[in-house]
Amino acid sequence: MLQFITKRTATLVAAVVVSSFAVFLIPYFTPGDPVRKIIRSRVAGDAVDESAVQGLSESLGLNDPLAVQYFRWLGDFFSGDMGLSFVSRTPVVEQVLPALSVTLSLVTMALVLAAAISLPLGIVAGLRPGSTADKAITAVTQALIAMPEYWVAPVLVLVFALKLSVLPTAGWNDLSSAVLPALTLALRPISFFTSALRAGILDAAAAEHVPAARARGLSQGQAILHHVVPNGLVPLSTLFAVWFAGLLGGSVIVEVIFAVPGMGRLLFDAVVNSDIPLAQGGVVVVVALAVGVTTLADFVHRFLSRTVGASLA
Amino acid sequence: MAAAAALTLTGCGFSGTQAQSTQPSAAADTSQRIVVDNFRAPVANWAVESDAAYILSLSGCLETLTTYNQAEGKVLPSLATEWKQTSPLDWDFSIRQGVKFQDGTELTAESVVSALNHVLDAKVPARAFNRTMISSVTAVDAQTVRVSTPAENPLVPYRLASVNTGILAPAAYKAEGLDPFGHCTGPFTPVSEKAKQSLTLDRNENYWGGDVQLAGAEIRFITNGATRAAQVQTGEADISLSIPVASLAALKADDGVSVLGADSPRTATLYMNNGRAPLDNVDVRRAVREALDLDALAASVYEGAALPATGPFAPSEPWAGEKQEKQQQDLEEARRLLAGAGYTADRPLEIIAIVERAEFADVAAVVQENLKNIGIPVTIQSKEYASAEPDVLAGNYDMLLSQRNRLIDIADPIGFLTADYTCKGTYNLSHFCDPEYDRIVAEAAKTVDTNERYKLYAEAGQILQDKAVNAWLVNEQSTDAIRTNVLSYVQDPLSRYVLTAKTGKAAS
Repeated sequence: MLQFITKRTATLVAAVVVSSFAVFLIPYFTPGDPVRKIIRSRVAGDAVDESAVQGLSESLGLNDPLAVQYFRWLGDFFSGDMGLSFVSRTPVVEQVLPALSVTLSLVTMALVLAAAISLPLGIVAGLRPGSTADKAITAVTQALIAMPEYWVAPVLVLVFALKLSVLPTAGWNDLSSAVLPALTLALRPISFFTSALRAGILDAAAAEHVPAARARGLSQGQAILHHVVPNGLVPLSTLFAVWFAGLLGGSVIVEVIFAVPGMGRLLFDAVVNSDIPLAQGGVVVVVALAVGVTTLADFVHRFLSRTVGASLA
Repeated sequence: MAAAAALTLTGCGFSGTQAQSTQPSAAADTSQRIVVDNFRAPVANWAVESDAAYILSLSGCLETLTTYNQAEGKVLPSLATEWKQTSPLDWDFSIRQGVKFQDGTELTAESVVSALNHVLDAKVPARAFNRTMISSVTAVDAQTVRVSTPAENPLVPYRLASVNTGILAPAAYKAEGLDPFGHCTGPFTPVSEKAKQSLTLDRNENYWGGDVQLAGAEIRFITNGATRAAQVQTGEADISLSIPVASLAALKADDGVSVLGADSPRTATLYMNNGRAPLDNVDVRRAVREALDLDALAASVYEGAALPATGPFAPSEPWAGEKQEKQQQDLEEARRLLAGAGYTADRPLEIIAIVERAEFADVAAVVQENLKNIGIPVTIQSKEYASAEPDVLAGNYDMLLSQRNRLIDIADPIGFLTADYTCKGTYNLSHFCDPEYDRIVAEAAKTVDTNERYKLYAEAGQILQDKAVNAWLVNEQSTDAIRTNVLSYVQDPLSRYVLTAKTGKAAS
């Protein structure tokens, strides 16, 4: 186990370093001068004053070689300083932490919602393969994959905010304002969770220990509850973690449409504006969390496999 | 020169079409609060030299020495009561007496000098007020501030109406950035901020400009246009600024919403590279222009929410001149010009359509079809403006589909005409150079008499039109939507002034 933890920690550090360096390089390898982009993000339109470009470049240390800039940032980071945003000149951590808490809440809500909806759907479909219910569930969940968020979001706004007037259109104020963005984000995971659960239930139901349990005197319902469903849930833990990690930085469209001040918007703006310290800080936090969550999922997966396996022995 | 004489200037300027809310006679309920959906969020920690100043100004917090009145087309007094040009290079502004910042401190000449010097010393300079055009700001006495320029400049009062020259109390300028909370002079006091989301303001009970009709306001930062439109429909917002074309039909059909349109100083433009063949030939450029069907473009892509352009200026602008002719498509003439210029289809042209304006993808397709009709094959490239700009400024392009705010600095087009079309212009995307044009613009820049100056602008505009420097496509409209119970709302196409002491709301 110690070896596993050590290996996982090394992976985490490597992922953070590599991804932060990749993000660090993006502004330099995309067309357009980073300093001009920073100036334009503050003052839109018109020509950029050349003396301002030089002055800002100098004061931000952007004239130094790339390696010097990167290792300077790395040194600051390991001493607990994520630096100042190039655009707002405020500490990066003061922008990242509030945005992160918003996205964490949103993603958690979306995935809990997805799990709550897909659990009954996956179980029903898995226990009755080929039935009308199974076909209907499969058709609906497959259709969800084809619905892009930029289409789903306005439709939900149209129905729940404009027609029914039961939910707000946008913002991040109370639980009601989180419903539509969470639901939009939940649709694709619902599809994947349901499919995975259906497959898991099918496999578990076909395993030899189920008839054996029935032979020991368990009813059909007890056999399903104790032996089929727990086994069917095992793959869901990994899938849950993968989606959690993916949505942490991948909720840009939903955050823009619903005016949610989260990490997706923060990272998008940071890259567009060449706000290198903000992009680096944001990516480091997202990557660390994502790797952390998938590592935790591995633990849970192992634990569940052993527990379920032991209970079947 | 008239400038040597003392002069009080309240010049005419861009008037455009302005719109007002429909219930001027209804009584305001002074306990009401209002919600405004704005299209941008502050990005630079409220730095007054940045575009964040627009948010502070539209929310009724930040005020300037002068103000630009859209309805009258004039620069009017605000925190300065009057101004005089005391020498060719000096302007003296008399500071309004009895004005207090929201923190209780007095507005003085010293505080104004300190605030304006803060802007002049900014690392990223403000467009309208920086060291290239202002040499110093000093206090002459306790009530008078002197603004000096390196060259004679009749537009100083216009520059002092720029939101970037807003005056805040000395306590607002902190080492870690600007703190506008409690430090403005306007009718509303900012009291709290939700980062990236909203700014909340309360009524300033001691406002120097009279009673404030609203108890407070919330400015929301909603960057998505469809969301802004939906919020004013549901009643979550009372005013939504800059409504996208796609949302107009739904809003116009809603009884609870009024849609207000005003001429915007923006013209969607097909920039042509005058410095590179084949578009260095004026006949090829004219042929391109003759081939375009602007009526169809305005009606289809813009769904009637923009008007076909007549030249570099909108017809409602006072400097547009008399000769404003609508561009009619003439394919025969276009083909004749093209043949005369020796153009052949062996040299296809490329249009860069910037992605920041979603409609430009469709505009590019229409232009492509129009030019195909006269035998010019066109390819289209979509690019972010920032990635296209270096090539465009270096002259490595054929055509660029973009738009430009002519009044981005001040309510006068001198900055636009100079930067965009003079031989040494810093933003000369078209790579146009004409000594006669440069002479006229240089003369206009120092012409004090407003009417004379506007005549010179019109002459300059006519040269741009005669030389077919670019193809000006449509004059864009600025569209705001308001709930019908909003009172005394006057639309500003540039969204500088939205909430004022007079803005009110009827009881719901």
